[in-house]
Amino acid sequence: MATNQPQAAAGASGSATQEHSVRVLKDHRKIYKMMKFSSGNELDFVKLSETPVRMERENNFKEYKTANDIDQMPKFGAGSEFGREQKEIARKKKYGIMMKNYNPSDQPWLLKIGKNKEMKRYKGVREGTITENTSYYIFTQCSDGAFEAFPVEEWYNFSPMIRYKYLNSEEAEEEFSRRDKTLNYFSIMVRKRCRNDEDPDKVDEEEKNLKVKTSKKSSKDLVLTDIDEWFDISDDEDDDDDENDEEEGDEDSKKSKKGKKLAKKVKKKRTAKHNSDDEAIEESDEGDYDDKEVDYISDSGSSSEEEGAKKDKYEEKGVDEEKGLRKLNCSEDEESDEEEKKEEINEKEEKSKKGDESESSSSSSGEDSDIEKDEGLASAIFLQQEAKRNSPVPRSDTPSSMETEDKKSMKRKLEGETSSSKKMRTDSPSVGGSKEGISESAIRRYLMRKPMTPKELVQKFKSKKLNISKEQMTSTIAQLLKKINPDKKIINKAMYLSLKSN
Amino acid sequence: MSMPPEFEKAHTPRDVDLNAAGRGVWLVKVPKYLSEKWNHADGGEVGKLKITRSKFPGQKPDVVFSLNDKLVKSGDTTQSPKDHKMVLTGLGNQNLVVFSETPPMITADSGAKPDHLVDKLGIEGKVIQRAECRPIADNNYLKLKRLQVEAQNKPKREVIQISEVVNAYKPISDHKFNIEHQQKMKNEGKRLRDSKDVVMERLFAAFEKHQYYNVKDLVRVTNQPITYLKEILKEICIYNMKAPHRNMWELKPEYRHYKEDERT
Repeated sequence: MATNQPQAAAGASGSATQEHSVRVLKDHRKIYKMMKFSSGNELDFVKLSETPVRMERENNFKEYKTANDIDQMPKFGAGSEFGREQKEIARKKKYGIMMKNYNPSDQPWLLKIGKNKEMKRYKGVREGTITENTSYYIFTQCSDGAFEAFPVEEWYNFSPMIRYKYLNSEEAEEEFSRRDKTLNYFSIMVRKRCRNDEDPDKVDEEEKNLKVKTSKKSSKDLVLTDIDEWFDISDDEDDDDDENDEEEGDEDSKKSKKGKKLAKKVKKKRTAKHNSDDEAIEESDEGDYDDKEVDYISDSGSSSEEEGAKKDKYEEKGVDEEKGLRKLNCSEDEESDEEEKKEEINEKEEKSKKGDESESSSSSSGEDSDIEKDEGLASAIFLQQEAKRNSPVPRSDTPSSMETEDKKSMKRKLEGETSSSKKMRTDSPSVGGSKEGISESAIRRYLMRKPMTPKELVQKFKSKKLNISKEQMTSTIAQLLKKINPDKKIINKAMYLSLKSN
Repeated sequence: MSMPPEFEKAHTPRDVDLNAAGRGVWLVKVPKYLSEKWNHADGGEVGKLKITRSKFPGQKPDVVFSLNDKLVKSGDTTQSPKDHKMVLTGLGNQNLVVFSETPPMITADSGAKPDHLVDKLGIEGKVIQRAECRPIADNNYLKLKRLQVEAQNKPKREVIQISEVVNAYKPISDHKFNIEHQQKMKNEGKRLRDSKDVVMERLFAAFEKHQYYNVKDLVRVTNQPITYLKEILKEICIYNMKAPHRNMWELKPEYRHYKEDERT
């Protein structure tokens, strides 16, 4: 710095003006170049007086040759072609390809500081456009106070050469996207571990289920989920012996549902946490969530093991799917009510028929009114018996069973039926009554075409824009399914129903 | 894959002279017209640098560069501005170092021999101050600028009206290289068929040097009529129909004995 502090010649006054002459030497042999180091680089050549500093031009001759297909083939002997080079040059001339000659002084600089292992390497790449519109000079002060100006010919940006492997931008991007995935792996592992803990219970339970089922139905496939259980249960509803069991089962499932809901809530919270701060979770260890798990298990009260198992089963299912299942379940509950209602209705019918008959007998002038009356009575009794016998059997079947009855009573009966069905429509979904669109045959048709989940089936009917509420539709479909009793198969944790075309 | 010796020289690592590394230098940005004037100056002084330090400490000194009167008027353009203000700017966190390359040159001291074979490299100092040399805008400067802009906006090609037909070349009845070629052909005469052994001898000699030949080249090398040559070639050679050496002849495997072939 002392070099360019102007000597205070006139010094005494506050503002001193000094004059220095500026010289530009004509015949300078030295070519001045600029080294620009990246910011934050504390390279000081003054401190490096002891260490050897060497510079060279990077040797890119090989790369140049390979890039321009020079000397790729042997010039003599095996594999060589006569006059290849000349031909190549002629060819290039013909197409106007100008070959750039290799110029070693156009190559980047390599700066090596130190020896062997401690060697620091820098690469200096020329910066092109900086001296395009302006020129740069270096001003140095000579001993006589005058400045000498030297033009700067070239600029080089020196940056440290990195020897270790690093990710380029694309690879880094890929790794970054994988970051979330690995997190998911982690949560998957956690889940897996939980499952493993509860596995033995689950297996036991399933075995039990299997046993029960096999004792009842041998034709069924291996059943894995709870949905099947319900279907089994609903299938068995006809048998009066099982009713108690079934109710228990229902209650159980309800309970489990509660527990499941709770568990779900807890789970949701947890997943939210997962998203919010994943680092913290990544750092966490095995037993970290133990207390939390205990939390929700203790919440749900009794039969915790079973619940755990059930929860596990449901983990993979979406919320909406679950809803659909619940509806199915509800419909079951309704069913028993419906049966009761049906019987009531039957009784009503009989009454109304009797009334009708008395009226008709009074009005009709036929001789065989007595007989008819008798017959009607008998038929009414018969009907009642019939109704009792096969209450879940759809109404549409009943007329065929009463072929022997005479037309009048038939007509009356049909009238009564229609009226009752109308009533039912307003009250509750009819049992197996062919609603507009939702019919046994329709379901059969769908199932025969391709296997479907119950949800899909519901969706099918929904798309038909029928004038029934969702609950009604699902319950109707559930009951029809029960009757049809299609083959069940679990694919991808979803139950598919199918029918074989006979 | 050998490299020419002059290339080799440029790529040899050279020691860097660090003696002047401690020197502090200014890096001054100079407008193009000024640097041209400086280059035209026949050495020596180009101007004066006036440094005025203010009374108050901590303030930047006022630096003014005034060009020599002689240089102001020189050049093909009009007068350039005389006074330039040097705007001192900081370095920021840039680390700027000046280095020099001295090419080998025959100097008076070392006689006829160059003083060194390869370029000498040396650190010339560290930049401690950056400055921008700005002209103080006056009429001269504005005029100069106007001229520059005008010169720049002048179209490179102009339409000129021509009154006569311009013939760029004279018509020639026979071109020179045509005559040469004909002469050559006449001198050589027709290619005569040599005995088969002689031709084969020549072919083997040729195939010793290179593996693949074009028919045309072989015609030239053996100096035989093409039909005759092809007869012989079919006997001892294979004609390549596919990509890497398409349309080229090579010896049948039983005739070859390339050394490099054995090695690889």
